[in-house]
Amino acid sequence: MPQQQPQPSPTPPRKKKIRVPRVVNGIDTMVEIEVDDVAGPGWGPNDKHTLLNHAYTRVDAPLKVSGAAHYTYDVRLPGMLYGRILGCPHAHARIKKFDASKASTMPGVKAIVQTPLTEFRFAGSPVAAVAATTPELAQDAARAIVVDYEVLPHVVRARDAIKPEAPEVLARDTRKPDEKNLRFAAKAGDPQKVEAALAASDAIVEAEYYTPRIHHACLETHGMVVDYSGGDSATIYATTQGTFTIPKDAADTLGLKESAVTATVQHMGGGFGSKFGIGIEGMLACKLSRATKTPVKLMMNRYDEFVMAGNRSGSWQKLKAGVKNDGTLTAVRATQYRLGGVGGGSQAGQPYAVYRAGEFYREVYALHTNEDSSIAMRAPGHPQASFAMESLLDELAYKIGMDPVAFRKKNMRDEVYHRQLDRGAREINWAKRNTKAGAGAGPLKRGIGCGAGTWGGGGNDQCKVEVTVGRDGSVLVAVGTQDLGTGTRTYTRAIVAEELGLQIRDVVEQIGNSKLGGANPSGGSTTAASLSPSVKDAAIKTRLALAEKIAPLLGNPKPEEIAFAGGNVSAGEKSLSWKQACASLPAAGLTAHGVWRQDLQSRGVHGVCFAEVEVDVETGKVRPIKIVQVQDGGLPLNRLTMESQLNGGMIQSLGMAFWEERVMDAHLGMQLNPGFGDYKLPGSLEMPEFVPLIDDDDKREVVIGIAEACIIPSLGALANAVFNACGVRVRELPITPDKILSVLMSERRTA
Amino acid sequence: MSDEPKKKTSRYDPSRRKFLKGVGVAGAGAALADSLLNRDVSAAKSKLNAPGDPISGSVNIALDINGQKRNATVEPRTTLLSTMRDRLEPGITGPKLVCDMGTCGACTVLMDGKPVYSCLVLAVDAVGKKLTTVEGLGTPENMNAVQRAFVAQDALMCGFCTPGFVTTISAYLKKNSNPTLDEVREACKGNFCRCGTYPRVFEAALAAAKAGVNG
Repeated sequence: MPQQQPQPSPTPPRKKKIRVPRVVNGIDTMVEIEVDDVAGPGWGPNDKHTLLNHAYTRVDAPLKVSGAAHYTYDVRLPGMLYGRILGCPHAHARIKKFDASKASTMPGVKAIVQTPLTEFRFAGSPVAAVAATTPELAQDAARAIVVDYEVLPHVVRARDAIKPEAPEVLARDTRKPDEKNLRFAAKAGDPQKVEAALAASDAIVEAEYYTPRIHHACLETHGMVVDYSGGDSATIYATTQGTFTIPKDAADTLGLKESAVTATVQHMGGGFGSKFGIGIEGMLACKLSRATKTPVKLMMNRYDEFVMAGNRSGSWQKLKAGVKNDGTLTAVRATQYRLGGVGGGSQAGQPYAVYRAGEFYREVYALHTNEDSSIAMRAPGHPQASFAMESLLDELAYKIGMDPVAFRKKNMRDEVYHRQLDRGAREINWAKRNTKAGAGAGPLKRGIGCGAGTWGGGGNDQCKVEVTVGRDGSVLVAVGTQDLGTGTRTYTRAIVAEELGLQIRDVVEQIGNSKLGGANPSGGSTTAASLSPSVKDAAIKTRLALAEKIAPLLGNPKPEEIAFAGGNVSAGEKSLSWKQACASLPAAGLTAHGVWRQDLQSRGVHGVCFAEVEVDVETGKVRPIKIVQVQDGGLPLNRLTMESQLNGGMIQSLGMAFWEERVMDAHLGMQLNPGFGDYKLPGSLEMPEFVPLIDDDDKREVVIGIAEACIIPSLGALANAVFNACGVRVRELPITPDKILSVLMSERRTA
Repeated sequence: MSDEPKKKTSRYDPSRRKFLKGVGVAGAGAALADSLLNRDVSAAKSKLNAPGDPISGSVNIALDINGQKRNATVEPRTTLLSTMRDRLEPGITGPKLVCDMGTCGACTVLMDGKPVYSCLVLAVDAVGKKLTTVEGLGTPENMNAVQRAFVAQDALMCGFCTPGFVTTISAYLKKNSNPTLDEVREACKGNFCRCGTYPRVFEAALAAAKAGVNG
């Protein structure tokens, strides 16, 4: 395995100014930026690639389909112990007594450690962990630990927590002693101008929208295997979205130097924003390993995964908006509560960034409950805000009798959305939709709705890539990045293969190890835009270095004039096969180092969705029929995996729309559905037709990440489709049959 | 750890775990399983011949997995899933532990050709059955038609649900070699995916059916 060599400081490169497309305040703009003047060739036109921007299969697929891919959960080491977490059963409690005396003498038990907390603020909060020789014995021992708690009052429902008399979830902030569970976070805009604009509007809609806590539900739970036997180094097998987010904290807990700890992740079973750093589970695993000087595997069980591994914060949004009869959005006023449990939660500020309102004012608060802290989940804060905004816009459009697509176009910041809306509308056949919501004899009624999203997706300079060409013609590209199932391994090979005129199978990649070149964690949809420019840079340098070496064999052309294509290397009349060219290399082959090139990536993507649903107005059941999503992303590195990402975004959005929610028992303070039996994930019987469309009208010759963009626009589209179908506006997710029926039945009673 | 069967006069403890830990019942095929059940244990246990006799403590069993005889030492309560993943040496880790309670299908294996959730099968009940995991359906170098179709259609992303789906669909196509899309969806309803591969899983199943399933 290549060791990361310290690089000598280079002389600072010359700078030059270039103009690149950026999204500024939501508008596509050409801006001037300064870059190093060593850039070199770009990607070239998006439609001129031989591998990139085509559909090619994943290089790790054969391993995964045959059970040969090894995940953290699959790791087995000699003498390895199994870890198990003990959680607090109460929603709010203090430890009075912790007695592990019986547990520690049980068969197979090798260590018991406590977390440093003495006060617990959610049911399931980790108290201790056990290491034993089998999973069953670890479970037995955890149950045998006796803990006396002083049980304290709790509150788990937002509507209860906001009341002044509610039990307090957190300790008071001494800087703001008047705030209890409702804590001010931010405000923006001008409230007086908003009131004036509302007063001058032709129509107003005021409504409250609510989205519950949603779970990542990664199939591979959180956890790690700590390969440590009491020596001066350790290897951590981590199911993580960030190879390099592991070593330091693991080393600190093990009492080792950071450089003595290697993190490795070859495949991981889902993250969706939840897996950065070692977490409490990793800290406990390291403590157990350190105490026993033995390898420890601690993977959360499914109950722990639901109650303590984090989730998407809920939202409670009070919106009021005004509109002119010509469709101009005059004002938006918002009071936004972020429901993040003991954490602050996240929520994009209203009005949602796709749209512009004449005037706006928002106040944002965190509203705390005795639940584990929400954490990042695919496009944090965006689906929540988008759902409310798209519903509100739809309500305004219907109120003034304007087509919802035309209404959106009138109020969008960026004209790119117009062409995406047109394409999506054609694909779903928007023209056939009922203009009167709920029209039709029933009982099965169909409707169509739309929504739009926005995301950044730009990169950073953390990726350091190494390409090595062997004398035997082998090509190795190495970087410590991670592949979450996003296809990172595959495009990493493809970029190099295309540059060198080879097939994907001619290149081998090495990733997921902290001893390889650095890489950023896969968060914020930053991976592709951080990694691909560095891979391309390494590939270009490899090509030019090899070209320089073999130029004498081709009649001494300039290196940049030598063509690498179809497995051959040629200039003018002379040609060598790839293998012949490489045979002239020295024994150590050739190595090139790639660094980030800012000009090969950008930030700022759009995205629209059109959804068709069928509502049975007798049962209230909603059946999704078809979802069309149009997504831009600059240069698509791999069309096959990009389409799969779009499908994934649409499906997770379906879950949020119709089935998924954390249900808490107000009295017990516990989650009632911490398992897949009662937390309903989208399943095969619920799948509609999906139409993932890559927006090829986006000609930007840059790579931009879309992993989060593609989960945003569908939620509003689905909610709006339900309204169009049956005339019922459900403002509280998930849209379940009871919510539709209760409105329909009360309408029938009053009719 | 005592290998003695629990005395009938022991203190009554209604907890399910203690019951399962203390006393298990040999599987229905125990008479057949005698030839597979290694009985190098205490003399008291050597009287365990008839089906329905209790077993407890630690049991040595042999399982027929992917055409190989594999030995393991298990507790009566140890699941087939945990046995394959945690106790066999080397382990069989294609089937995944995701929910451990029969709600997701990631642990799907074939037992005498039929898909079962291995987290809901006790290892001692799998004795005498012909077990097939995803590894037994094909290797990276020699995939079956379903696996090849999964690769071609991109019916996977993180891959953690994939062994379960491949196993379920491989068995289903043997039962119904020319299914409709609705039949495929029905067959897959016991397998969950979080990344969102369903539409391409269905396409892969239909493509594999067209190509003809082998193995």
